Amino acid sequence: MRFYGKGILTGLAVTLRAMTRRAVTRQYPEVRPDLPPRSRGVIALLEENCTSCMLCARECPDWCIYIESHKETLPPATEGGRERSRNVLDRFAIDFSLCMYCGICIEVCPFDALFWTPEFEYAEHDIAELTHERDVLREWMWTVPPPPALDPGAERPKEVVDALRAAAEGRPA
Amino acid sequence: MTTERTVAIGSGAAELATEDMVLNIGPQHPATHGVLRLRLTLDGERITEVEPIVGYMHRGAEKLFEVRDYRQILVLANRHDWLSAFANELGVVLAVERLLDIEVPVRAVWTRMLLAELNRVLNHLMFLGSYPIELGAITPIFYAFREREALQQVMEEATGGRMHYMFNRVGGLRDDLPAGWLDRVRRAVAEVRAGTAQIENLIRGNEIFHARTRGVGVLAASVAAQYGVSGPIARASGLDFDLRRDEPYLAYDELDVPVVTRTAGDCLARFECLLDQVGVSLNLAETCADRLAALPPGPISVRTPKNLKVPEGHTYAWTENPLGVNGYYLVSRGERTPWRLKLRSASFNNIQVAPDLMRGALVADMIAILGSMFFVVGDIDK
Repeated sequence: MRFYGKGILTGLAVTLRAMTRRAVTRQYPEVRPDLPPRSRGVIALLEENCTSCMLCARECPDWCIYIESHKETLPPATEGGRERSRNVLDRFAIDFSLCMYCGICIEVCPFDALFWTPEFEYAEHDIAELTHERDVLREWMWTVPPPPALDPGAERPKEVVDALRAAAEGRPA
Repeated sequence: MTTERTVAIGSGAAELATEDMVLNIGPQHPATHGVLRLRLTLDGERITEVEPIVGYMHRGAEKLFEVRDYRQILVLANRHDWLSAFANELGVVLAVERLLDIEVPVRAVWTRMLLAELNRVLNHLMFLGSYPIELGAITPIFYAFREREALQQVMEEATGGRMHYMFNRVGGLRDDLPAGWLDRVRRAVAEVRAGTAQIENLIRGNEIFHARTRGVGVLAASVAAQYGVSGPIARASGLDFDLRRDEPYLAYDELDVPVVTRTAGDCLARFECLLDQVGVSLNLAETCADRLAALPPGPISVRTPKNLKVPEGHTYAWTENPLGVNGYYLVSRGERTPWRLKLRSASFNNIQVAPDLMRGALVADMIAILGSMFFVVGDIDK
């Protein structure tokens, strides 16, 4: 038979049992969280790879990437050759107060210059200070983890498939 | 269930001239989960009129859709209902894929279903925690958040996000799953199942909780249908409608989706629907994980052109989101951006019925009724 107050007692029993268990609280500043490699914490820039092509800045849904560059002309590599011009990056900044952390910039970058890192401790007191310039973005590169191994059911990367085929045919990949 | 006594204060109290009072709940009020404003007209403690005033958080999502390409739209679609981000993305890509006539790889289909069900559990756990708070029970939310953390961890491992996953792409998913992830999903599901049992013990039979919710804010099935109410709220009134079973998308037709319904239509029924749906979704997620593990190796997405243009035409894709039916009406004129992308969000329709439920109720019950409508303000205001 069900008596009045049984529900409350069942609830209190749960609380009592929880009291005897270890707390799930994480001691954050002392113990740092273990974040997965795909975690979208902040965007790092490998500026050596950047060609200032502006694809990221244009594809960003809220235009929070600022790129400034100028063209430099290099003398011809061989006698009588053509002069080469290349882009030199002057400024690369991401305004993290606008950033929506969607990762489109990283996806569209054709030269692998942008990466996600799980780093997250970059809170500021002033919103303007959330615009980070290329030196800060470059420093974050050191925190970029290697991508995780993929599920056995995943399609093999093109490079692996090519190498295996080459090995089977007995030619260098 | 509710009994009422009229206590006359001294003689002649009945003849006292009374005046209605207008009381604003919100836009900044803890009971509104955000910036929903209710203008109540009160006759003493009794509500005579309610007017929900929406739009404080209007971000013009539909208009922004028109000037964003299909990948950028996912960013925005993620955010109108921030508790069902994955389900929202899903609706957009389903609509676009239908117009493009893309067949999504089978691995992507099952992964999408798995993630959608995990997302549903995350959403429901949030409300299972926050609703008791509104009624004065603080404990359940700690249990709910503990369980949410377990799921968010596996979601973050696969997608990189804890809230806005950005994992869907037109043609499949952004990345394949990490190695060993499916086992961790199974472990998390088992953990959450045990944890949800605790939440159930904490609150399901609680007499105080029953006193606050049973028979309060009764929504009739016919009224729910008239207002276009959907999701767990409609099912708590006996409207047996679930798109996963009635108009299956992805591969839901291969699964047996049990639809949780109640007939009472009161706050308690709505809460219990949510609670039972968590169990159902956990089972579905487990089935999806098993099916995924048994699939032969294959791609997770099909290659789509960089400059994705959707052919001229229109389509309506609706999905069973955690909070109800979420629909996207996509009209394309063959460009990189939709000409129009109409958003039918669950909370917007669901909240319309709130005045009907509150009229004649007491102010204290207003909180119980509003909380049981399980809405996200961003989903109302779009």
